[in-house]
Amino acid sequence: MKHAAWVALPAGLGLLLMAIAQSGGIANPILFLRVDLGTAAALAGALAALATGAGLWIRDRTLRKGAARIIDAQRQGEEMHRQFIRRLDHEVKNPLTAVQAALANLNGVGDSPALASVHSQVGRLARLTTDLRKLTDLETRSIEMQPVDIGELLVELVQEVHEAPESAHRSVNVSLPRVPWPLPSVTGDRDLIFLAIHNLLDNALKFSGPDARIEVRAFEDGPSIAVEVADTGPGISDEDLPHLGEELYRGSSPPGVEGSGLGLALVRAIAHQHGGSMAVRSRVGKGTVVTLRFPARP
Amino acid sequence: MDEPKSARILLVDDEPAITTNLAPFLERSGFAVTLAEDGEAALLRVGDSAPDLIVLDVLLPRLDGRAVLRQLRRSGNWTPVILLTQIGSAVERAVALDEGADDYLGKPFEPYELLARIRAVLRRSQAGTLPLAGARRLRACELELDRQTHCATLHRQEVMLTTKAAAVLEYLMLHPDEVLTRERLLDAVWGWDYPAATRAVDTRIAELRRALGDNADDPTYIETLIGQGYRFIARVEVDR
Repeated sequence: MKHAAWVALPAGLGLLLMAIAQSGGIANPILFLRVDLGTAAALAGALAALATGAGLWIRDRTLRKGAARIIDAQRQGEEMHRQFIRRLDHEVKNPLTAVQAALANLNGVGDSPALASVHSQVGRLARLTTDLRKLTDLETRSIEMQPVDIGELLVELVQEVHEAPESAHRSVNVSLPRVPWPLPSVTGDRDLIFLAIHNLLDNALKFSGPDARIEVRAFEDGPSIAVEVADTGPGISDEDLPHLGEELYRGSSPPGVEGSGLGLALVRAIAHQHGGSMAVRSRVGKGTVVTLRFPARP
Repeated sequence: MDEPKSARILLVDDEPAITTNLAPFLERSGFAVTLAEDGEAALLRVGDSAPDLIVLDVLLPRLDGRAVLRQLRRSGNWTPVILLTQIGSAVERAVALDEGADDYLGKPFEPYELLARIRAVLRRSQAGTLPLAGARRLRACELELDRQTHCATLHRQEVMLTTKAAAVLEYLMLHPDEVLTRERLLDAVWGWDYPAATRAVDTRIAELRRALGDNADDPTYIETLIGQGYRFIARVEVDR
């Protein structure tokens, strides 16, 4: 509507002036102009530039508004999603608490495999709702902002993997730039960043065979610090790839591999909390690379 | 003092499915249980049955759990309270302790976990000391902690601690003589308890030990229980 007014106003003014001139309201309604070709060309050029500029400005504004609307809608969607999880959590936790108390009352009475199974499945449900709630809690809370030395963190992480008996024999290498300068630090919550990369490394160990090679590396990438966890595991299919990091998405993971379907969602939430991102590249039969990007400290 | 076996517990929850299952469980565990289904009823029961401990849900009709807690504490009633928190936010939990709850537990919970917490809180309250939950300053041997400023002093000298380490110290001092698993400390102080990050707890405990000059092999303050967690072993008192 506003655009229409800007077009109608000059057109209306022109018509009005024409009407006044032709009705004899102006004594001598003839203009005598003598303009040299150069000035006329410059004037025409300036007018055309003005018109094009105005057109581009209007287009950019419309695009910006459109983008803002999309971001708004996305935020609204995310908030609705969080609200849904909170409500679900609220509705589920009371019945779960009641069932757990009822089961505790049955303890020792009629012990049977069926009862044991109910017990373990209720425990699983309870863990799931708690983990889902913790994830939404993490997405909205403020985090500690301290300088974090990613290089030192990766060395500590891999050392922990090699100290654990179940992964001591696995091939995990760290690759860090040292020349001409070491990796700059990032700002954030060290414990959360540790947890995120730990989860990625855990996945790499879990989903790839004992002979697979795993590499953890970090490097400067424009204004970001990229941290990559790469493995020569089975890879992820093209159908699964776009859904990784969605809550409860399990994909076609190999049988026998346990997981909650929340691990990568947690990693993604931690990256977003730090103003960063998560990306996955994978080829079936070759392996997978997960990249986390965190803004580097200025 | 009564033995914990005969302790009276007031269970406040508006969900009958919970109270009808939890009350018999607590009774079988040796407690005498009375029930209240909303905040106002809870305050009345505290008045006429003088319970030894209150298990208090946060979301209640009429008067919510935190308002009940505030009213009790304001009127000088220091009956131990375990809050059952509904929204798992770390902020709400921190506020719960500040407002004078002795402990809290997020729903859903294992009934045996509630039992362990009840026994620990009763043990603390029956030791004949002033309640730690409402105190601003805590003291253990030569260590003092201001809970509002999170400032710690040892032999009256200020101890430099990171925010997390100070919060861990506060939680340890509020739960003396209790075995605290790494997961529980993570949940209470960090607000999440993913087992992958239990090392974060060890790092802070190591920082605390360095700052307090505490020897892990022969500790004055923090004991390591291998495979279980940590325990604050020094006697904690309210510092006036």
